[in-house]
Amino acid sequence: MVRTTSSLADLPEGSIGTIRDIDALSPTARRLLDMGFVPGTVIRAIKRAPMGDPTTYEIRGYQVGLRRSESSLINVEIKPDVR
Amino acid sequence: MSDKADIGSSRNVYLVGNPNCGKTSLFNALTGERRQVGNWPGVTVQKIEGVTRVGDLSLLINDLPGTYSLTPATPEEEVVLKTLDEAASGVIINVVDIANFERNLFLTTQLLELGVNPVISLNCFDSFTRAGGSIDLLKFTSFTALHAFPTVARTGEGVNSLIEHLARPDSLAADCCANLLALPETWKTAADEVLVRQNLRWENATPLQKYDALRELISLKPLESSPEVQDIRRRLATQLSIGREKPLKVIDLACELASDRYRRIEKLIAACAQIPGKNIPAWQEKLDGLMTHRFLALPIFALLMAWVFYTTFSLGEIPMGWMHALLDWAGDFVKAHLQPGLLRELITEGIIHGVGGVLVFIPNILILFFWIAILEDSGYMSRAAFIMDRIMNGIGLHGRAFIPMIMGLGCNVPAVLATRIIDNRFQRLLTMLLIPLVTCAARLPVLVLLCGTFFPENPSIWMFSLFFVNLIVLVFLGHLTSILFRSSDNSPFLLEMPPYRLPTPASVLHMLHEKAMHFIEKAGTVILAGAILIWVLSVFPREVPLSFDYQAELAVLNSQPAGATTAGQIAALQHRREIEQMEGRYMARIGKFLHPVMAPLGFSWRETVSLIPGFLAKESVVSTLTVLYLPYDDDLGVGMRKTGMTPLVAFVFMLFTLLYIPCIATLGVVWRESGSTRFTALAMLVYLAIAYLVSYAALKIGETINSQTSAVETITIILAACGAGWYLLRCLLNAFVGRKCKTCTSCSACPNKSSNCSGG
Repeated sequence: MVRTTSSLADLPEGSIGTIRDIDALSPTARRLLDMGFVPGTVIRAIKRAPMGDPTTYEIRGYQVGLRRSESSLINVEIKPDVR
Repeated sequence: MSDKADIGSSRNVYLVGNPNCGKTSLFNALTGERRQVGNWPGVTVQKIEGVTRVGDLSLLINDLPGTYSLTPATPEEEVVLKTLDEAASGVIINVVDIANFERNLFLTTQLLELGVNPVISLNCFDSFTRAGGSIDLLKFTSFTALHAFPTVARTGEGVNSLIEHLARPDSLAADCCANLLALPETWKTAADEVLVRQNLRWENATPLQKYDALRELISLKPLESSPEVQDIRRRLATQLSIGREKPLKVIDLACELASDRYRRIEKLIAACAQIPGKNIPAWQEKLDGLMTHRFLALPIFALLMAWVFYTTFSLGEIPMGWMHALLDWAGDFVKAHLQPGLLRELITEGIIHGVGGVLVFIPNILILFFWIAILEDSGYMSRAAFIMDRIMNGIGLHGRAFIPMIMGLGCNVPAVLATRIIDNRFQRLLTMLLIPLVTCAARLPVLVLLCGTFFPENPSIWMFSLFFVNLIVLVFLGHLTSILFRSSDNSPFLLEMPPYRLPTPASVLHMLHEKAMHFIEKAGTVILAGAILIWVLSVFPREVPLSFDYQAELAVLNSQPAGATTAGQIAALQHRREIEQMEGRYMARIGKFLHPVMAPLGFSWRETVSLIPGFLAKESVVSTLTVLYLPYDDDLGVGMRKTGMTPLVAFVFMLFTLLYIPCIATLGVVWRESGSTRFTALAMLVYLAIAYLVSYAALKIGETINSQTSAVETITIILAACGAGWYLLRCLLNAFVGRKCKTCTSCSACPNKSSNCSGG
């Protein structure tokens, strides 16, 4: 089983990942942490907007759209395709 | 006065909760006051109050802005933190969207940690149970010491038992033995150590003091805090590292606190609730797939927008026609029943005209907001923002700004009102600043008229170039503000995608009623006052000293036998008198006074004067000019050429007319919607300055092409103009947002509340 880490911004549409860490120095990261983007949380990239940005994610049972500038603050561990 | 009875008879209740959790609906259900209920995160932007009575007890209900966390990211959210101490002395209702339980409980956890015990309203309970979820309320209360009430705010279900609970004297929860959400001892000890340095203790500190202590522990810039606090943080990190593979770094304390809160929440939910596996029904996913489809999303959105635009501005013309007919009838009625004179003129020209200028917007506003209410309530608005965000981000705006901007093409007034759908205050103001630069439908006939007058040979090319320059100015200004904005803003882009819902007729009707009344009351009065002011300037002083006894001369000419020459002489005399009277009015005096300022653009005093009534409506620019140029020629274009106006100056004049100011109605709504006189005044200054700078640059470019000015001079002037524009914009932004220090999330959270921090 291969495990790869990447930025959340690069998580392909439809893939599931686990949050590994988040850029602690960014003020934006604070809000993301408060919204449940904490290490260990499972996150799924649902869809990129027609022009490639933003992307919607499903996390903790809700959906939220993030721009690349926000999602690149988060590192995820991509799970191999479970399907 | 029986003080005790009075104190006992009222109680302050505060509503807090995440955006889009149904807080506003609950407020309406509690108070019975129908208000805007949107399926859009952040409908509530200011603190709103309402009263409900239970027996003799009156509950004063305060609706606080929605926030995901107590740590503020916007001025709206800061309100919640600032009110915390005050709220803790009353009753706090924490509205929790149970369909989104984990994230909503984060705020609850923060409140509990600070010693605030809210009453929990478990909202959207119906969709939770329908999806197969269940919760043991007794267990929830015993594990959190909080009373919880299932509610469905949209229908009002469960609200009564919540109200009854609020009315009971013991509505505050008691302590419990093992609070699953409580702050771990390690953190509490560390926070206590921070508080001791300020001669405080954790047990008796106010919620805000506790919040500040915790904030210091997880501060982003550890080096800025005192050595003692740094020491406390280091010890905390070491303690928390016990039993871990990797030691915890001091900088990761914030992350650790958030993770710890979520771990506690997960434990609580596991202990008392059954969360449905899949929240989103399959049909919703399919619909969402279509609405945000890679290829179909934009065409669908374009069709929807075209439909909204068409109905708003084309169908809106039908009731507008009725209104015009009604006003004409009213004018005729007054004319038939009043003697000619100042009063009659005031009523017909000033008041009826002014009222008409207000009412004329109502059909557009109602139709537009009907669609906005439906798009918002259904949840499509978030999808629209999602697909348009990339484009709007290019000019520094949020995806949500697209709809107001595109509506600006029809009319700026409803467009400015539509900025309400943007929840971030700064983004809203930025959109408001840019909307007046969108050429509205009413400016079109003025441009057609001017282009036809000045360039009868090929008006379309000139019109196209005017629009083109306008577009460049819009994009340029957007870019500039976005560059300046990025350095001062740190609110993250988070676009919550609410589930699709069916809009309820009640909430749509309520929104329409509120919009129309709000517009008439707030903006209507301003527009009416402005219209009357311009009218006064254009008719006073009544008696203008004339250089010549026209009356006598006209009498002589009239007594002569009628003929072609005498008729011509009479007409010429009447023209001269009209112009002389016009020159004597205050408006022309102001225009002449301002003429030296406008002279560098090549305008004569006539053009300068005509710009003043243009404040009211740009059509008046043309009609005033026609009167002023009558002595030279009946045809405005010919008359202007006779006085030596070049096509270049004519073009510059049109450019200036297009840019210098939106109409008074737009300014009125900007003033009311921004809620700031300073912003409106500065925005006006920005438009005037942009118009002046752009026109001047255009003049110099034109002169270079005609080789009247050297290229070097032109380039210097353009650069200087850009610099001046930049400087002005920066002043505007600084005055408004305040220069926030990059480290703080907000000004109240700033350790050195410095003077240059003027925001919120």
